[in-house]
Amino acid sequence: MHIADGILSAPVLAAGFGGTAILAAVTMRKMEHEEIPKVSVMSALFFVVNLIHIPIGPTSIHFIMNGLVGVILGRRAFPAVMLGVILQAFLFGFGGVTVIGVNCVMLGGGALIAYFIWQLRHRFPLGDRLEMIFGALAGATGVFVSGVILAAALFSTGEEFLATAGYALAAHIPALIIEAIVVGACASFLKKTKPDLLVGQVQKGILKTS
Amino acid sequence: MSLEIDRFSHIESSVQRWDPRIKILSLGFFIFVAALLKTIPVAVISLLIAIIIIKITNIPFHFVAQSIKWIIIFLAPFFFILPFSYPGEAAFRFIGLPFAWEGFRLAVLIFTKAVAIVLATDAVFGSSRFDISMIAMQRLKCPKVIVQMVLFTYRYIFVFIDEVKRMEKAMRSKGFVMKANMNTLRTMGNFVGTLLIRSFERTGRVYSAMLSKGYQGDLHTLVTFEAQVKDFVKAGLIAILTIAVFVTDMINIFHPAIKGWY
Repeated sequence: MHIADGILSAPVLAAGFGGTAILAAVTMRKMEHEEIPKVSVMSALFFVVNLIHIPIGPTSIHFIMNGLVGVILGRRAFPAVMLGVILQAFLFGFGGVTVIGVNCVMLGGGALIAYFIWQLRHRFPLGDRLEMIFGALAGATGVFVSGVILAAALFSTGEEFLATAGYALAAHIPALIIEAIVVGACASFLKKTKPDLLVGQVQKGILKTS
Repeated sequence: MSLEIDRFSHIESSVQRWDPRIKILSLGFFIFVAALLKTIPVAVISLLIAIIIIKITNIPFHFVAQSIKWIIIFLAPFFFILPFSYPGEAAFRFIGLPFAWEGFRLAVLIFTKAVAIVLATDAVFGSSRFDISMIAMQRLKCPKVIVQMVLFTYRYIFVFIDEVKRMEKAMRSKGFVMKANMNTLRTMGNFVGTLLIRSFERTGRVYSAMLSKGYQGDLHTLVTFEAQVKDFVKAGLIAILTIAVFVTDMINIFHPAIKGWY
């Protein structure tokens, strides 16, 4: 799911860092100190959940869960995913230091768009299954958008990566399905047990309610 | 878990003694230049430089091997895709597929650079305590909010990994087996949800404790940095090597790469 070091060209790397700086500035505006722990919790969770592998036939696939971060944090999902990506690069070269920018735009962008999809649920009176359906949509969106950005980054580096980009997109399909089911289940579970964790639900955050 | 990047920061060596601020800047420069190289021989030279640096730090090989393992997992597909999909004429056919050396060359180049970069990153962050590295980042004008969030996240990661292990044990003891089916996925959804609730409640308590001890959004530290002449000498050495590598790559000594295989 991440792009590794040494593949992309300098302009693409620079565009990644530029995009990350802009998105970070926009999404972190007016952030208060009491939000720091909440965002950190989600980025640590994003980091840890990325390590859980689910077996599929002969191979296995790991969670991405950027959609879930969007569902919980709203626009603060971007800084959370960004921190997760930075730490993954520092701690075990998951991705890499020079591609931090591109990976942030890729995964964080997916999280933001998942959040917009999630917010659309207020317009549909679907009753009990509302959270499950829109959680699933948000989970799938997170993976889908990231896959598209990944393919675009590969393709803009050079035509020789065209086949790789197509392969990468195809490889996202199982991840997309799994993510949709898990995020959907998780959203409906949270709705039943602790609805104020979900963004735009009842109140703003756990720290105010506890 | 081997996620503790600073596990070997206590070992004595000239990299560990290096002022973290200057270390991050100069090796960061090296890392970015390495990412931009275009010819294999120069990439191999940068890999050798990275190996020498990591040797000097005395960080054991098995620790570094962990990060290289990830690189191999991420980059292995390139060796299978690029040679067979590179536009242009193929050198020969392999099980009916056109095999282009140029594509293979690209895969080798990517792999070499990636290993060099990961080794250099390990040398930077593996040779100082993580909190000290982060304070150094703050001194280098990295935004305070980001540094604090990184520190919080770094702490929480280990807490959550323990939590995940505990919950996994509980699930296993109740007979749960991971399979590729709907039931597993739904259970995983509930697993992640439970993990979330537990984590938020726990960090809410930690945050209240911090507030009651006077936390107002600033980190106070006793760490002071003092750059000495030898810190700058090391930085100069790395800078000269990096620029030499970059220039060699730019002036195209090895440019026949377009025709030949390196």
